[in-house]
Amino acid sequence: MHARVSHSLAVAVLVVLSSTPARAQIRASELGSVSQTIDGTKITMQYSRPRARGRNPLFGTKIVQWDEVWTPGANWATTFEASKDVTLEGHRVPQGKYSVWMVVKKQGDWTLVLDPTSKIYHMDPPDSNPKQVRFPVHALQGPFTEVLTWSVPDVRASGGTLAMDWGTVHVPIKLDVAPSLPVAIAEADAQPFLGRYEYVEKQPGGKTKTSTFTVLYENGTMKGEWFPEDNYMKRFALIRIAPDWFVPGLYDKNGEIYEVLRPEMVIEFTRTTGKATSLVVRNEDDGIDATGTRKP
Amino acid sequence: MDTSPTSRRSFLAACSVTLAALLLRPAQAQAAGAARPAAGPHPAPRAGITGAKVLTAAQLSKTPDLIPLFDAVREVPEIIDGIRCNCGCGESQKLYSLLSCYEGDAMARACTICQGQGRLATRLHKLGRSLDEIRIAIDAKYA
Repeated sequence: MHARVSHSLAVAVLVVLSSTPARAQIRASELGSVSQTIDGTKITMQYSRPRARGRNPLFGTKIVQWDEVWTPGANWATTFEASKDVTLEGHRVPQGKYSVWMVVKKQGDWTLVLDPTSKIYHMDPPDSNPKQVRFPVHALQGPFTEVLTWSVPDVRASGGTLAMDWGTVHVPIKLDVAPSLPVAIAEADAQPFLGRYEYVEKQPGGKTKTSTFTVLYENGTMKGEWFPEDNYMKRFALIRIAPDWFVPGLYDKNGEIYEVLRPEMVIEFTRTTGKATSLVVRNEDDGIDATGTRKP
Repeated sequence: MDTSPTSRRSFLAACSVTLAALLLRPAQAQAAGAARPAAGPHPAPRAGITGAKVLTAAQLSKTPDLIPLFDAVREVPEIIDGIRCNCGCGESQKLYSLLSCYEGDAMARACTICQGQGRLATRLHKLGRSLDEIRIAIDAKYA
C-alpha cells in the first residue's frame, strides 16, 4: 500500500513538473521587444532588459566601461529589424535584421553600430567591418530609467524617434521611412485636373449638399479644398495612386501629412480630350459618396 | 444653391470613362510610381473554380443589401479567385483569394474592404477589363 501511494505521488510530481514550461526562469535581464509600423514599414527591436538594481552610475563603471563596444541590452545582442529600407540619423539602413552595438564614450558622441550578423552573444562584439552601418549618436542625460528600455516615443507620417534609455542616459535616434506614395507631382501632370468643380455630396436621408471643390497646384503638390471650407480636411494634398485617381493626404499644423484617406476616399477624375471634366468620389466599399463637374 | 444630384446614368458614364482611362494606361501608372507595391502576389485562379460556395440570397437574409454583390461575385469566380484580398484576412485566416471571403463564414458579410474589392472587380470586369488590369486597380486603391 505504502509503495503504491509513493508511486502515485511520484507520478503526480512528474505530471506537475512536466506541465511546467521547460524554459520558465527568472532572469536578471528579461527578454523584451518593441515594434512600430510607420507607413507600411515595420521596425522591431528585440533585446534582453538589464535592470539597474541599485547600481548608479552605470556607464563608465565595470558594468559598461568607456570605449567599450556594448550591446544596449544583455545576453544575446540586441537586434534591430526593418521590413523595408530605412534611414537612421540620415544613414541608409537596408531592409534586414542586425545586431546593435554602441561604442560608449565618456565625452562626445557615441557610435551606433549595426552589424548584419544578428545572432551574436554580448561578450563577442564584432570587429569593425565594411558591411556594418555606423554613425554617431548623441548620448543625453535624462530621468533615471531602471530597466533598459528601447521605445518609439515619437511617431510621424514619415518616421519617428527610436530611443534607448538606461540609468540617466537617453539616446534618441532619428528614424525615417520611405513614403509609400509620392506626394510630389510635376505641374504638367497636375495641369489637366486644376480648376473648380461643382461638388455634390450625398447626405443622410437622400439629401445632397453642394459646394465648390477647387484643385490647385502649390509647392510641387496637387491640392484640394472646398468652399465653404471643410474644417476637418481644410486644404489637403491630392496624392496620385493611378493616372486619374487621387487620395487626400491631410496636413497637420506643421505642414506634415499625418493621414492618407486610402481607400476611404478615392477621387476618380474623368477626362475629355485630355482635361478633367468631372469627378466621382468613391469610398472604401466602392460606393459613390460625391460627384463633381467642372465649372466654366 | 444647386442641389440636383447628377443622374445615375451620368455616374455610370463618368465611371466608365474614368476607369477606361485608368486601365488603358497601367504602364503610365507604374512609370509614375503611382501604384503602391503589392503586399504580396495575387493568387492564380484555381483550375475549374466555381462560385458554388458563394453565399446565396437565402444565406444573406440578414444583410439583403449585399445580395447583388454576392450574386455578381458568384458569376465571375475565375476573376475573383485571382485577386488577393487586402483586408488582412488572407494572412490571418489563410484564405486563398478574395473569392474565399464570399464563401463559408464569408468575411465579406461584414468587411467593407472585402466588399469594396468585390464591387470594384466585378464592375471592371463588366467593362471588359482583364484580370491583370483589375489587379492593378485593386492594388492602386487597396494594397
